[in-house]
Amino acid sequence: MASLSATSLSFKAPSIQSTRISQVLRKPSSFQSISFGRFQSSKSLRLQISCAAKPETVQKVSDIVKEQLALSADTPLTAESKFSALGADSLDTVEIVMALEEKFNISVEETDAQNITTIQEAADLIEDLVQKKPAA
Amino acid sequence: MLSSLIPLQLPSRMQTHLWYILPNEVNNKSLLKHYTQLLSQHEKDSISGMQSDELNKKNALLARTLVRTTLARYHTNNNDNTVVDPRALKFKKNLYGKPEVDWEVDDTTTNHPKLQFNISHTDSLIACGVTLNAPVGIDVEDKTRKMRHDVLSLAKRFYSSEEVKFLSSVEDTESQRKEFIKLWTLKEAYVKALGKGFSASPFNTFSIIRSDAETYNLCDQAGEWKFRLLELAASSHYAAICIEGEDGQEAMNVIVHKTIPFVEDELISI
Repeated sequence: MASLSATSLSFKAPSIQSTRISQVLRKPSSFQSISFGRFQSSKSLRLQISCAAKPETVQKVSDIVKEQLALSADTPLTAESKFSALGADSLDTVEIVMALEEKFNISVEETDAQNITTIQEAADLIEDLVQKKPAA
Repeated sequence: MLSSLIPLQLPSRMQTHLWYILPNEVNNKSLLKHYTQLLSQHEKDSISGMQSDELNKKNALLARTLVRTTLARYHTNNNDNTVVDPRALKFKKNLYGKPEVDWEVDDTTTNHPKLQFNISHTDSLIACGVTLNAPVGIDVEDKTRKMRHDVLSLAKRFYSSEEVKFLSSVEDTESQRKEFIKLWTLKEAYVKALGKGFSASPFNTFSIIRSDAETYNLCDQAGEWKFRLLELAASSHYAAICIEGEDGQEAMNVIVHKTIPFVEDELISI
């Protein structure tokens, strides 16, 4: 286990994204503060499956969605809110994707764009893509 | 006392019947209650579970009512030629999630032609397209809809390069916006007619080009997809229809009705 490097990890767990696990195995210096706290390479690996996107990301996504759909500031929006339930049609969704790409400076694949149906899913995908970007 | 549903003649092979409701015209409480009684339990639960305002719930109710009553009207009971009960229709989804009618093949008491349908709606218009044996997709859009992004940026990101070229050649900003929306409805209608989900045909992988004032075609197409673009409801909406034709077939013919189920139909000349 001690010799397992992050780059050689490639298995896909059924209900979580594989990149989540690779995040856990990164060296602490490049590690983003995910909810289960800091990871030290000398300690045994403890995988927590509930690695949701940062609250700030979820908030930024919510703001963009509210703006696109012209929702009032006090509209109750949760991470689980579905775009369609908020009144978004396919053109709204496409505009939301574009706004997210601009805000986070990422590029969303067409197939990924289709799979975003909630705020949480958008936030998770964003963090995935941001984390995958080559270091500047 | 509401009139019973009036039977309809089937569409011919290259014909699309387009039915639409204007929700603003349907407010009578007892009529809406009657509509609710036509829905399946699943549909009723789905609507009451919506995290939306009452207008959206009403539109969802009208959409299901439009589909059930319209499709029912094309089916008559063999013994007395009355329209089948809209409640009796069952629906299922194809492999990719496209809704279709689920026929009970051993039912000999009614005739069931192989109708295909597709629905689309905005806040102010709900439409249902019906064909006989032809895959169909429809999309409606409010003509005045404004995008938050610059239209050309959206096109460059999501449309094909031929379509971007066309849009770039439209000089007036307002006309460009309208052409963007027209293309949007046509492209949506095509993907919905294909019925394989949006990931199967990303918008930038195909081009729809206008050949003259009224005719749109798919570039380099495999198959015979026919398109029509209409303006509905005092030109408040664009409506795009796409059906899969047969080789050598002429253009698609469309018959449009505005309807309030159980109340009235109005034939619209287009």
